[in-house]
Amino acid sequence: MYGWVWRHLPGNAWVRALISLVLVLAVVFVLFQYVFPWAEPLLPFNDVTVDEGSGATP
Amino acid sequence: MRSRWNRLPERVSADVVLRLVVRTLSELCLTAGTLIVLFVAYVLLWTGVKADRAMDGEMARLRGGWAAAGAPAPERAVPSGKPAEAPASDGPGEPAASGKPVNPGGPAEPRPPAAYPAGRPFAEMSIPRFGPDWNKPVLEGTGTELLKKGLGHYAGTARLGETGNFSVAGHRRTYGDPFKDFPALRPGDAVSLTDATATYTYTIRGGPVRTLPTDVAVVDPVPRKSPFTVPGRYLTLTTCDPEWGHSHRLVVWAELTGTRTSGPVGSGGLPR
Repeated sequence: MYGWVWRHLPGNAWVRALISLVLVLAVVFVLFQYVFPWAEPLLPFNDVTVDEGSGATP
Repeated sequence: MRSRWNRLPERVSADVVLRLVVRTLSELCLTAGTLIVLFVAYVLLWTGVKADRAMDGEMARLRGGWAAAGAPAPERAVPSGKPAEAPASDGPGEPAASGKPVNPGGPAEPRPPAAYPAGRPFAEMSIPRFGPDWNKPVLEGTGTELLKKGLGHYAGTARLGETGNFSVAGHRRTYGDPFKDFPALRPGDAVSLTDATATYTYTIRGGPVRTLPTDVAVVDPVPRKSPFTVPGRYLTLTTCDPEWGHSHRLVVWAELTGTRTSGPVGSGGLPR
């Protein structure tokens, strides 16, 4: 997988390393900006109120 | 028509395929592990960074609004220690009204502002037990997105200093951990809230008590399970319990023990 990516990057080893670094940073950015904010509410840390469900609950 | 692959002996070809499969699987496992570590870092650290930034923004908005309204931004809330002022003009219908949305056309409710504007900060809270620098904005509403920017005031509960139950929810973990030390609260601790016109000091009388998420009566005007039995000027704080779970809630109750005006009276923050 990663070997395949490495073989398909252009340039010599240094250029490839630089491009790899940029790719990794881009992936981390997308994760922190879009993927994790979407996934985080699926965890239970957001439930801090007692009006959960509905106000009709006695 | 012979390709390169066909020339390879059967044995070598199988080895290559097996190696490819094993390598890809290992890479996938490493990727998944890295993802999980990154996600933990996001939840534990990055949400705190984001929330601190958002809370600073809300505080600036709050103080900017006060400055624009002509009220001097008050210093950090200091417990006044004064006894309850208890104005004697409470209408008989007031405790009931403060627990429900106020009828906009109701002639029995002459109080000018019926509710705080939803989603906006209107006060700052400080709790000395949480440290001298603990100072958080309180916003109107308890939506998930809102609670990432500060503490949330349950819509429909009383306004600051009013008869009824001023109820506030906050994160115990993640998003800046505002209520991290919630279990350390004890009866006698002060909770100070400052809005544009006054500083209200509530003193904790009951809790922390563990209850169920469906137990909405803990934010009633006369909260259930609390030491209070008659209508008064109360405050309720809720957060989640256990620390990293959502099966229960922790609750403390307080009552108003002091009010100190900090600006020109008349913009509608004081009890009548």
